[in-house]
Amino acid sequence: MSTVAYITTRGLFGRRRALLLLPLPLLLVGLALLCRSYDVPATDWGTPVLVGLGLAVVLPVISLIVGTGVLGSEVDDGTLVHILTKPMPRRDIILAKLGVAIVVSAVTCAVPLFIAGALAGSAKLGVGLAVGAAVGACAYSAFFLLLSLVTRRPVLLGLVYILVWEGLLGRFVSGTRVLSIEQYVITFADRISSSDLLVARVSLPVAVVLSVLITVGCTVAAVDRLRSFSMAGETS
Amino acid sequence: MSEASVIHDIGYQRYTGPRLGRLQVLTAMYVHGLRAAFGFGRSAKAKIFPWMVAGIVLLVAVILAAVRAQAGIVALNYVQFADAMSWLVILFVAIVAPELVSRDMRSGVLPLYFSRPLRAADYVWAKFAALVTGVWLLLGVPQLIMFLGAAFTTKTGMRGVWNEVGDLLPAWAYSVLWAVVFAAIGLLIASLTGKRAFAAGGIVAVFLMTTPVVGVLSILPSTDAQQLSGLASPMTLVAGVGTWLIPASNIGLDLGRFGVVYLIEALALIATCLLLLLARYRKVASL
Repeated sequence: MSTVAYITTRGLFGRRRALLLLPLPLLLVGLALLCRSYDVPATDWGTPVLVGLGLAVVLPVISLIVGTGVLGSEVDDGTLVHILTKPMPRRDIILAKLGVAIVVSAVTCAVPLFIAGALAGSAKLGVGLAVGAAVGACAYSAFFLLLSLVTRRPVLLGLVYILVWEGLLGRFVSGTRVLSIEQYVITFADRISSSDLLVARVSLPVAVVLSVLITVGCTVAAVDRLRSFSMAGETS
Repeated sequence: MSEASVIHDIGYQRYTGPRLGRLQVLTAMYVHGLRAAFGFGRSAKAKIFPWMVAGIVLLVAVILAAVRAQAGIVALNYVQFADAMSWLVILFVAIVAPELVSRDMRSGVLPLYFSRPLRAADYVWAKFAALVTGVWLLLGVPQLIMFLGAAFTTKTGMRGVWNEVGDLLPAWAYSVLWAVVFAAIGLLIASLTGKRAFAAGGIVAVFLMTTPVVGVLSILPSTDAQQLSGLASPMTLVAGVGTWLIPASNIGLDLGRFGVVYLIEALALIATCLLLLLARYRKVASL
């Protein structure tokens, strides 16, 4: 299991791919610093930077790149066969890869969000955002990992989820918010920090239950899917 | 073994017909690119994503036309419609641009293409024109639907129809600007990687991460910074040009006296992206 995790980490950070993870967090911290240095009141820039950029773009996009990268790139390259033929339970493969994805995306998102939150308000806001991002990273990673097993175009489907479901529908159709990971993250961050920069639209019990449900459900479904996984050639 | 060896004539022939030149290659690539953009000539799976986006945009246009015909409310005018659909345009570019250029890199056909009379510039132009046409169709056809809905329910006869035509034509030009800017940026990003997944993610990330920059710049304590803030993101850049050139559009951006700056930056951005694309295709070693 540790070998799978090691190989996955090396696949993620090998070559130039790791550089893809850098610009978004840097932009987040940079914008927070810019506003701070111009003495703009945090009530003005807090929501567009922390929620509009941090929780609505940085967290899902990084989780998407990492979450589909851990398994999807191996499916694309066909190297997944080498792992599948080893005498180890499929459950361990999924858990190892999911663990790497969660740790990487949680660290990449939580650290800049903590810094930006601390610049915007207090360390408490930073902690709230960081914890929310870490929990969100679990749910997003499990979801995108499952996507990379059920479809050949996981990144596009994930983008559709982020842009259309969370972005467009979440803004205009209030009912879809109950099924949007972004809203759970905002709820967690709001409850922990009790800051007025964040507006929770989903109640805490709903957010907790559904986050756990999504994480566990997607993991179980991914294990089940990998049990009968067939490698197909390039299609369409 | 003892017989003398014989070379049999198995019917190989030289091609003696007319040889088509660069123009024909370019046209063929353009048509192929445009068909590929909407998944024509590919399996049903390839049609899902582009047609899902096109379906949503068309649905919105039909709803807007119906609302206008029944209730007489203009919820969005033609120019505002293009702005409201910006996220879907991004998604469309993220779906189609990798399809056009990243596939060629991945399957290693570029050396084959360039062993023809085709030049690097032709390749770039053909792909660029195909993507521009695709994005323009994505916006222009729904605008035409809205126009038809408005024209057939107008209360003022021919004059009303002419009014609508006068509104539609600038909006079509505005859609061309959208298409050109987004296609240039999208193709440039997609041409850097042979993996469609990474290309799609990169395109969306670039467009999405620039939006909050505008939000932040627009609240800085300086009027100039606020009026110039739209320059930071392609979407507000295009909207700014639209506001400046089509005063009737009511997009709601405050540009002050900087309207011309938006136009200059839009042109410079397009030119830079295309030049970088040309530079990128000077060498086509597989990625």
